[in-house]
Amino acid sequence: MLLGIDVGGTHTDVVVVDARGVRAAAKVVTNHENLFESVNGGIAAMLREVDAAGIERINLSTTLSTNAIVENTIEKVGMLVSAGPGIEPASFTIGDQYHRIEGALDHRGAEILPLDEKRLEKAIAACRKAGIKAYAAVSKFSTRNPAHENSMREALAGSADFITQGHAISGNLNFPRRIATAYYNSSVWRIYNRFADAVEKALGEYGVRASVNVLKADGGTMPLAVSRLLPVETILSGPSASVMGILALCDIGVDSVVLDIGGTTTDIAVFASGGPLIEPDGIALNGRNTLVRALRTRSIGIGGDSLLRVEGGEVRVGPERLGPAVADGGVLATLVDAFNRLGADAHGNTEASARAMEDLAKKNGMNGEELARRAVERATAFIKSSVDEMIAEINERPVYTIHEMLEGRRIAPERIYVVGGPAEAFRKELARAFSLEVTVPRDYAVANAIGAALARTTMSIELLADTEMGMLMIPELGVSREVPASYTLEEAGEDARRYLIGHLGKTAPGERVQAEVVHAASFNMVRGYHTAGRNIRVRCQVKPGILEKYEKGVRGTC
Amino acid sequence: MLKAKNRLGLIFFPAFDWAISPTHPERQERLLYTQDQLIEEGVFDIPGIKEYKPDLATIEDVERTHFCFPDVRSILTESHLVSAGGAIKAARLVMEKREDRAFALVRPPGHHAMKVVHGSRGFCNINIEAVMIEHIREHYGRKRIAIVDTDCHHGDGTQDLYWHDPDTLFISMHQDGRTLYPGSGFIDEQGGPNAIGKTVNIPLPPETSDEGFLYVLEKVVLPILDDFKPDLIINSAGQDNHYSDPITNMRFSAQGYARLNEILKPDIAVLEGGYSIQGALPYVNLGIALAMAGVDYSYVREPDFERESVRQEPEVTQYIKKLSKEILERYYRAGDFVMRGMPGNYMVRKKSIYYDTDGIRENQVESVMVCDDCAGVLKIETISSVNPLCLGVEVPLGSCDRCRSEGYRILEEAREKGKHSHIQLIDRMGREYLRF
Repeated sequence: MLLGIDVGGTHTDVVVVDARGVRAAAKVVTNHENLFESVNGGIAAMLREVDAAGIERINLSTTLSTNAIVENTIEKVGMLVSAGPGIEPASFTIGDQYHRIEGALDHRGAEILPLDEKRLEKAIAACRKAGIKAYAAVSKFSTRNPAHENSMREALAGSADFITQGHAISGNLNFPRRIATAYYNSSVWRIYNRFADAVEKALGEYGVRASVNVLKADGGTMPLAVSRLLPVETILSGPSASVMGILALCDIGVDSVVLDIGGTTTDIAVFASGGPLIEPDGIALNGRNTLVRALRTRSIGIGGDSLLRVEGGEVRVGPERLGPAVADGGVLATLVDAFNRLGADAHGNTEASARAMEDLAKKNGMNGEELARRAVERATAFIKSSVDEMIAEINERPVYTIHEMLEGRRIAPERIYVVGGPAEAFRKELARAFSLEVTVPRDYAVANAIGAALARTTMSIELLADTEMGMLMIPELGVSREVPASYTLEEAGEDARRYLIGHLGKTAPGERVQAEVVHAASFNMVRGYHTAGRNIRVRCQVKPGILEKYEKGVRGTC
Repeated sequence: MLKAKNRLGLIFFPAFDWAISPTHPERQERLLYTQDQLIEEGVFDIPGIKEYKPDLATIEDVERTHFCFPDVRSILTESHLVSAGGAIKAARLVMEKREDRAFALVRPPGHHAMKVVHGSRGFCNINIEAVMIEHIREHYGRKRIAIVDTDCHHGDGTQDLYWHDPDTLFISMHQDGRTLYPGSGFIDEQGGPNAIGKTVNIPLPPETSDEGFLYVLEKVVLPILDDFKPDLIINSAGQDNHYSDPITNMRFSAQGYARLNEILKPDIAVLEGGYSIQGALPYVNLGIALAMAGVDYSYVREPDFERESVRQEPEVTQYIKKLSKEILERYYRAGDFVMRGMPGNYMVRKKSIYYDTDGIRENQVESVMVCDDCAGVLKIETISSVNPLCLGVEVPLGSCDRCRSEGYRILEEAREKGKHSHIQLIDRMGREYLRF
């Protein structure tokens, strides 16, 4: 059996799934002051229904790191940053212990300027004086050569409880994102590990001996042990639980759009040939771009509780939410009330809805039905234009080869999947606006917890080989070794796959993983008129997916 | 936090699957390290800077600009349509005010491609700036446009294309043609009879450094731009003036390139040559992008930069000062230096052109009607080692009635005589681009 827990802003959803389907489900109110209590409450609720010994895997999605960063309850971090020439590194200052250390590497990882050891010692001394125990060491182009980040780590020996090294987070280039991501990672390290300790302790007491995994924003999971070193990877995993839930419930084989319509917002995700699209660079949090891989989602200000207004004869919906719908005891008419008035929904107190709609309509010289119809049309049109924009953006994404420019595949959605409170009420109107088939899965209320439960381990690595320098690197795995001048792109692809599967075999044993090469390029490096070597780049990933063994059981409720 | 003062559109297209040949300077690897640098610096994340995909230029975009023989498809590959399309995208962003400025970081380059094209010369097949400029004029009106070519090689293709156009000011700063390909671009090349003075050449001596480039920019280029009053300024942003470039002899730096763009304030920049792909391009392109966006570039520096080793010798400085004075004088008194025939008569030039990349020899006779009212009807008869005698006839944008009907008269006459294997008509007034 699998146990899935999705800690959301309002509710914590838990579900137990076995090969035949959902065995038990529950919803508890999230306790913001103590997220562990919410998790613990969820587990306890499930253990009243099923036997602890039968649970083999627990997948957990938590807002702990996100909340700590957004609410600024994070620990102070000593940032050691070595930039070299380029954009003035003060532009990326984060936190109040941001120290610049002289030193530089170039785009191939060659050292241009050695790290200033004296400056480094001074910076560490200043941090120690300020009582800093968590650090992040980041240098420009460290994914091409981690030497300077390694020197920083050595210099910190004895001073730090924890150090994040930039190159270990992601093999992707992007120095400002590396700085922000490393900072966040160290800043939530302690609070996250306390939470992980509490979860493990509780599970021990319940007699649960399952593997514990934590959901990431890319729709996959990582083992709890891995997450202890990379807590930043747990940020913004909310949308990925819902998206993976739909993937579990429905057999999506074609280009599709997924809408998760909540109270305040609607999250839009896009599937290409049945698989969710990933944000290529990384997700932004608190105004900072990071290197954290995430599903490509967009959030817009339309939800069931979106406020209705009439301005200059125009009916407006959202983005404000000033309270619940009148149907739920609120004061001001919202989109839910409009659906109630039209008979598309029968949520809560429908008579109250109808009265509120009539009142608002009368004030603006309309009748209630007209107001409701125009409000629903307006909301649907906004969702439609936002989806269109997102698809256009995806299809307009830059490409770097003639082949992709001419043959590049374009996304053309054939189907729309909708989950969330007002999903059913929206169905008809969305079908009309998009002229596409609209599906509302039957178990959509716990889709997110099912998604969390069934999500598989994911990971992505970058392999870079420079045969002129005779070096191969996979920053995420700490691999750095020599390669012969004859090393080829084919060998690099195989190596990337082998290293990735080998790594997951150790960290997430027992799970069958398929590693795929998603990008592979080899450039002849010419010096003068001779080929001096090859610059080989391979990206290999285990993409998000559903644990096969359990897929059949939950499928078909779609 | 960083923020662009000017909204900048970046069209980055490295054509990672295209090369002239595997070890040619114009090869897949050329923009690889530039891409690495731009991504690592987080340039595409700076608020106000946005990356765009190129458009695909159409055959009509090319036929509006060039005489291509035997036809357009034969003289180019898809890569050229993408690269020209990248420049067109840059122009559209600016013309439609979606961005304040745009930089097309695309390859292959174009500034050695002339009006007539039989093949590739100087790594160029079609002139991507010219295709872009004529696209602008077709879709956004007849603009006065200034091109400042900062590639180390004389922009002989662009010069040839705009030799007769009084609405286009072409200024080229380059290494003296006595010391470098293509061996042209001297100060007495000042434009045809209907566009006298609208071509300005600044042949700089070898080992000119930042000081010299910025001197001619301030003392020659800016005053001429002030006088011409263009609607748009375009930088043909070749980067082979760099001190580390393997095929030239100049001493320009990334800081110099950035400063040049900060002062010049081009609306659009288009990458041209530049083959120091590791030591220069990553830093020069970063500097140009930041300068165009109005972001501090003072920390951008090449790894091996040493101010002393790229200092300008006093003799070079003296030479440039004298040269600048002479060029300015020639600009303001261009009519005194260039012979102009009587209106209504043809002025004839004979040219022999070698296409170094493809090994083609072309001989042509170019005739332009001397005209007080327009750029003058243009007629080019051309024969090359790959094509028998061909004819190109152009009725220019803003053509007077006489020149337009003269254009059709030439066309009819040539078709009756039938001695040309291919004839191409460009009628910018009637938007007719015909082949016979």
